Amino acid sequence: MPETLSQLLDDSVLAMPIAAGLIMGALTINVLMLVWAERKVSAWIQRRMGPTEVGPFGLLQTLADMLKLISKQLITPSNVDKPLFHLAPLLAFAPVIAAVALMPFSKSLILVQNDFGLLFVFAFGGIAVIAIFMAGWGSNNKYALLGAIRSVAQSISYEIPLILSALSVVLVVNAMGFTLASGGSIVVANGLDLSHIVMAQDQHGLWFVLVQPIAAIIYFISALAETNRAPFDIPEAESELVAGFHTEYSGMRFSMFFFAEYTNMLIVSMLAVVLFFGGWDGPVLPGPLWFFLKSYMVIFVMMWVRWTFPRLRFDQLMTFCWKVMIPLSILNLLATAFVVAVL
Amino acid sequence: MGYFGKVLSGFGSLLTGMRITFSQFAKTFFGRKNVTLQYPKEQPKLAPAFRSAIKLIRFEETGTHDCVACKACERICPSYCIKLSGGKVEGIKKKRVAEFEMDFSLCSLCGLCIDACPTDTLEYSKVYEEAGYNRDWRVDLVAEFREYEAEFVEKQRVIEEKAATAKKAKAEAAKKAKEAKKAKEAEKAKEAEAEAADTAEKPDTAEKPPALEAKPAKADAPAKAEVPTAEVPTAEAPKS
Amino acid sequence: MTNAVPPEATPGGGDGEVYSLNMGPQHPSMHGVLRLLLDLKGEEVVKAKPVVGYSHRAHEKMAENRNTLQFLPNTSRIDYLSGMIYNLGYCQAIEKILGIEVSERAVYIRVIANELNRISSHLLWFGTFLLDLGGITPFLYSFDDREEILDILDQVTGSRLTYCYGRFGGVTMDVDEDFLARTTAFLARIRERLGMYDDLVAKNVILRERCINVGVISTEMAKSYGVTGPSLRASGVVYDVRRAEPYGGYEKFDFDVPVLHEGDTMARFHIRISEIEESCKIIEQAIKGIPEGAILPKKMPKRFKIPEGEYYFAVESARGHFGMYIVGDGTDVPAKLKLRTPSFSNLSAMPEALAGTMLADTIAIVGSIDVVMPEIDR
Ligand code: SF4
Ligand code: SF4
Repeated sequence: MPETLSQLLDDSVLAMPIAAGLIMGALTINVLMLVWAERKVSAWIQRRMGPTEVGPFGLLQTLADMLKLISKQLITPSNVDKPLFHLAPLLAFAPVIAAVALMPFSKSLILVQNDFGLLFVFAFGGIAVIAIFMAGWGSNNKYALLGAIRSVAQSISYEIPLILSALSVVLVVNAMGFTLASGGSIVVANGLDLSHIVMAQDQHGLWFVLVQPIAAIIYFISALAETNRAPFDIPEAESELVAGFHTEYSGMRFSMFFFAEYTNMLIVSMLAVVLFFGGWDGPVLPGPLWFFLKSYMVIFVMMWVRWTFPRLRFDQLMTFCWKVMIPLSILNLLATAFVVAVL
Repeated sequence: MGYFGKVLSGFGSLLTGMRITFSQFAKTFFGRKNVTLQYPKEQPKLAPAFRSAIKLIRFEETGTHDCVACKACERICPSYCIKLSGGKVEGIKKKRVAEFEMDFSLCSLCGLCIDACPTDTLEYSKVYEEAGYNRDWRVDLVAEFREYEAEFVEKQRVIEEKAATAKKAKAEAAKKAKEAKKAKEAEKAKEAEAEAADTAEKPDTAEKPPALEAKPAKADAPAKAEVPTAEVPTAEAPKS
Repeated sequence: MTNAVPPEATPGGGDGEVYSLNMGPQHPSMHGVLRLLLDLKGEEVVKAKPVVGYSHRAHEKMAENRNTLQFLPNTSRIDYLSGMIYNLGYCQAIEKILGIEVSERAVYIRVIANELNRISSHLLWFGTFLLDLGGITPFLYSFDDREEILDILDQVTGSRLTYCYGRFGGVTMDVDEDFLARTTAFLARIRERLGMYDDLVAKNVILRERCINVGVISTEMAKSYGVTGPSLRASGVVYDVRRAEPYGGYEKFDFDVPVLHEGDTMARFHIRISEIEESCKIIEQAIKGIPEGAILPKKMPKRFKIPEGEYYFAVESARGHFGMYIVGDGTDVPAKLKLRTPSFSNLSAMPEALAGTMLADTIAIVGSIDVVMPEIDR
């Protein structure tokens, strides 16, 4: 099925628009579901019910909210830097879609096969920071600016442990190698290729979370920080900065940031599944289903964390990154490199 | 504690927190026990002392209120939200209230009017689902009694007439007895006189019209009042 | 405190690095309508200036225009979080001036109601403080507990927040067995929950990092600003009106006045939690010892005339020393009723405590002293 679909797409001029449309649609539904899930999970943790009225189990509540947001007036405050202000939501919105296209949902269901997929995902992640800074700077609002400054510092700092922890996995993949199912010959695995990472785990029947537990934890924590999720949500710290970088945004522009935030969550959790939880690997159920199940489990943990902890202070966040996360991830990387070299 | 010890113990405290929130999550998700009340579907159980806008009590015996338009409530109200008028009604001794307007939007539910009322005919109502499009929240407290008022006055007149006749009879009897006693002893006669004088002063104590007897003691008035939603089952959630 | 024209946010120091941020009166964590004029250097607070007066309702002036009885409903609206304590405190003040006897049962009921109100106020503080720090879930847990108190108090007072339960000489409604049983059950529940809060919140490394050594108010500083209540006791001063000048039967009860010496946000946190425990102790004793009897004197005067003179009466509210200075002129309308509200003095220590902290700490520190803005503005 997927093969025929991709074949069809390969041959058509409409390939790009169709693919983009599909991803957009899927992601929109995903975001709607995630927001619903977030509200439900938070409600359950807080002994409440969450949305129950619109649709079964309140499933359509977020759809209604989205319609409301779309129909709202787009307010452009006077004295904002108009080009930046208008461009920022789009810039936050676009790269996350691109990153999803790189994900290996199953052995064959990969929208864009790229030998350096891992690097691309991180690169796209980097663009989001620019968008946030543009939004904060362009808003001409002190709260937004503070949020933007915090965001830049935070994202840049936490990208280091994030990539370092991913690198240790890359090292392991490179060292292990695997048999291509078709040929049966051992090829040198490319640790930067996302599907190779999964295949390595698949073949050895060993999820890397067991090989690299410290890297997994570091990855998870940095991912929380990368996506500005609590307890690292200081760029939009509600009790301090009102709404942080998107204080001045309303209507559809606001929902674009919202969309980006939740899709980012999906991307980092998908990447976590690829790196540490064996991707599509799983019994009985088809691969893509496993992939999504695992991703949503990771997202659930992210939500669980969010609704448990208070927020860190900005300087503590930095201290934590530079004094705990980066040393630990470097140690972990060195240890991995040592073990790999010895074996 | 060294560097790693600190990191580990901090991490441990985070895990404890997550364990707690997960146990709460499980209670709601698997145990289906939320602590909230799904309001319009489930109704809250109102406390017996629940305070809402004041209203006039309808006494069972007389079928109407017992406001004598003394204006004690109007004077004490700190929010100046009571406006009433009334006075003598033809045929009966008691004064009756004619207009009783209460502005609920001003009321602070302090209960001073209820304390001040000499006939204890005020109580809190139990309406709690109030909403409106403007701030005009003047309630006509006697509206529900108006229809019955004429009938009540008539009844009361009859009762009072009877009471008056009975009193007359009694007074006469007392007079006779007094005369008889007078003949007997001078001292005792004096006592009897005092008694008779008492009865004359307070005719009500001898022949109380039912309206006054119906007064519930103040303390248990709220307990007697019906709680409209008492039967509606509320969230069974035992708050853990 | 406030000028006729509220000061506007002006550019700060002028060296180009300092800018000013106008926080509030509309801000998610300004506890109603507090406005802080902050001079910031990056994220660091150089100078903080609280601006108050946004919810001024002229309670003191109203007291001069109505008789003593009519002021009763106002009292619980001054500080709506410890409305019961204010309401009963005002009753106690008038009773003391006029020498009205309060029956033993009413005294006990008042103590129970007071302490329940204190717990509910501390629980609300606990929740909102965590909210200020970004923890939303503990907020809802504590509100769940608090809801139980509101229900219990609702059962006898008929109100959930702005109680008008006290009358000169007693209380309006008697408590029944059900009330006492529910209160006892609540004590068991809150004790268990405090254990949970300890694990979930007090031991949490993030919260400890955010609170320890943050916003230190030294003993001298606390004394010089007139800080009272839990915030004072967290700075190492043993002062609780219930102990210092016992009123309303508190001398009969055995309870501790918790004191810590750090003076930081964490100390204020712990003091309030231990105060909840102490309140539980008091309630327990009161439930055990509650005598039978009337709740109001049989004969009450219609008017409560305050004899000529000046009177001062203080109670310990959930936030500190709440004093009423009453000047009487022989009528039943006080010539002057000045309220000494604890939040006002506590807030006045803020500029000094906030200077040099981070922006995020500002929120935590202002949250930790537990200000109720309507109480400051009155
Ligand atoms: S309850 Fe208080 S405010 Fe309301 S009408 Fe009665 S006296 Fe006035
Ligand atoms: S105090 Fe009672 S009797 Fe007098 S006017 Fe008011 S309601 Fe009527």
